[in-house]
Amino acid sequence: MSIQSVFVISDDLGALNELCGGVKAMADKVTAIVFGGRDTADEAAACGADKLLYCPLDENGAPENYAGPIAEEIKKTGGAAVLFNNSIRSRCLAGMLGVLLDTCVLTSVNELTEQDGELIYRRMVYGGTAQRHERFAKPYGVATLSGGIFEPVTLPATTDIAPIEGAPAAGIKRIARTEKKEGGTNLVAAKRVLDVGRGLAAQEDLEMIRALAKVIGAEVGCSRPVAENNKWLPKANYMGITGVQVKPDFIITLGVSGQVQHIGGINKSKVIISVNKDKAAPIFKNCDFGLVGDIYKIVPALIEKLS
Amino acid sequence: MKIIVCCKIVPNEEEITVQGDRKLDLSAASWKIGQYDLNALESGKQLAAATGGTMTALSVGGPSALDASKIRKDVLSRGPDDLKLVIDGTRDFSDSLQTAKALAGALKTIGDYDVVLCGMGSSDLYLQEVGIQTGALLGLPVLNNVTDIQPAGDGLLRVERTLENEVEVMEVTLPAVLSVSSEINIPSVPAMREIMKAGKKPVEVLGEADGADANLTTLSELAPEQQDRRQHIIEGDGEEAVEALVQFLKKECL
Repeated sequence: MSIQSVFVISDDLGALNELCGGVKAMADKVTAIVFGGRDTADEAAACGADKLLYCPLDENGAPENYAGPIAEEIKKTGGAAVLFNNSIRSRCLAGMLGVLLDTCVLTSVNELTEQDGELIYRRMVYGGTAQRHERFAKPYGVATLSGGIFEPVTLPATTDIAPIEGAPAAGIKRIARTEKKEGGTNLVAAKRVLDVGRGLAAQEDLEMIRALAKVIGAEVGCSRPVAENNKWLPKANYMGITGVQVKPDFIITLGVSGQVQHIGGINKSKVIISVNKDKAAPIFKNCDFGLVGDIYKIVPALIEKLS
Repeated sequence: MKIIVCCKIVPNEEEITVQGDRKLDLSAASWKIGQYDLNALESGKQLAAATGGTMTALSVGGPSALDASKIRKDVLSRGPDDLKLVIDGTRDFSDSLQTAKALAGALKTIGDYDVVLCGMGSSDLYLQEVGIQTGALLGLPVLNNVTDIQPAGDGLLRVERTLENEVEVMEVTLPAVLSVSSEINIPSVPAMREIMKAGKKPVEVLGEADGADANLTTLSELAPEQQDRRQHIIEGDGEEAVEALVQFLKKECL
């Protein structure tokens, strides 16, 4: 038995491909919904959904303004799973759509499986202390899915492409927008990661970490306080249940204590190596190889030996 | 400006223990204000000060979470003038729409407000949807991941929202519901005089939650399987220890 109808809605075409590829095997019919004009739709056709609807946006248009027309489209089915990528905008639209479909939203879902014609959603609760498996008790279910949970597949391109019916709502007035200038990292896809924690004493000392990253070809991520409290690295760089979840070949944690919240973001790494001054730090229960020592001695020595 | 800040009282996750069968034991966990709701309380306090306004805290939950005077005082020591509660032991409020319906019902009862602030997500379930769904139920403008709020004249706020790759500045017509990012501020620690005053502030119980069924069925809740890590630990940061690490890296990783 499979799910009758699944909608995949994404404001990111890479995520759209992954989600469509992943759910195609579980559903009779997959309808993709994207934001932009016909050119965006043509680009999105590679996702391989059975049907593709596009929501044209004007210069100030926000995908959230399409909650009404999208709900009308979904309601034609009488029952469906509506799956989003896990972006901030998608979470906003998902919540609005949930109200129109009279259902709640499950976010940051990290595993989706099909069992006896129903979708089972898995997500972390209590800051990573437990995983909850849930299913919707209503005809409609709405969820946002974390990136990287499906293996990429290539499907034949969608040919049934149409604009969505109905007009967007007026929405909130945008008076300015600026692109973020932070250097992009792709921690999710990184094969090698350095993970900086509160053991780092000053922002300037990131230079030493970056030097090591360059020597071994790694991306630099961090624990939550380094990004949020100290603001030494962009928020997009912090790993944890509420941040990025990585799965590199190896990760070296430097001055990371190892709270449950953070471990949840790095424990899919094949090998975990940890350096921390505190012998009792919980990170040492979660690593393959650990050095109890000072990162300010060990990192410069590593740079020298590996250069 | 009349500000309402929603906050959830949650079990302290650091005091949850995992049993042998990977099930959770919450019996020893004390109640605390959700970590991300502290940012909403701080934003409310700052906005109330900037506009000469008032601030009400609103919480929905079961009696075990909300009956204790200690937690009520904790909320009230962080800026609100008063606290309103919806106490309902018949629902577990573990889905976003059920909680949003209870909050929307309470907001209708309260009636008069300009802005409702929520945290980024509750620190137990972290669905990040309750603020959005509450606003949508009330037909109000909603924004998530708000990183700055400034008064902008009569019935308007200038709101900064930070997305993955861009920062938007929006002009929001009030009333509205905003979920603030945990980046928006660093919550202040209540001063002794605030703690002393908290016990004298009014607390009103609004009655039971608006009727709403659960939208989800929970099939299981288990701690993640412990990954077998080798835990090969060496003490020291001298030449020998670093060399051991280099050898490990060369053999297994590089």
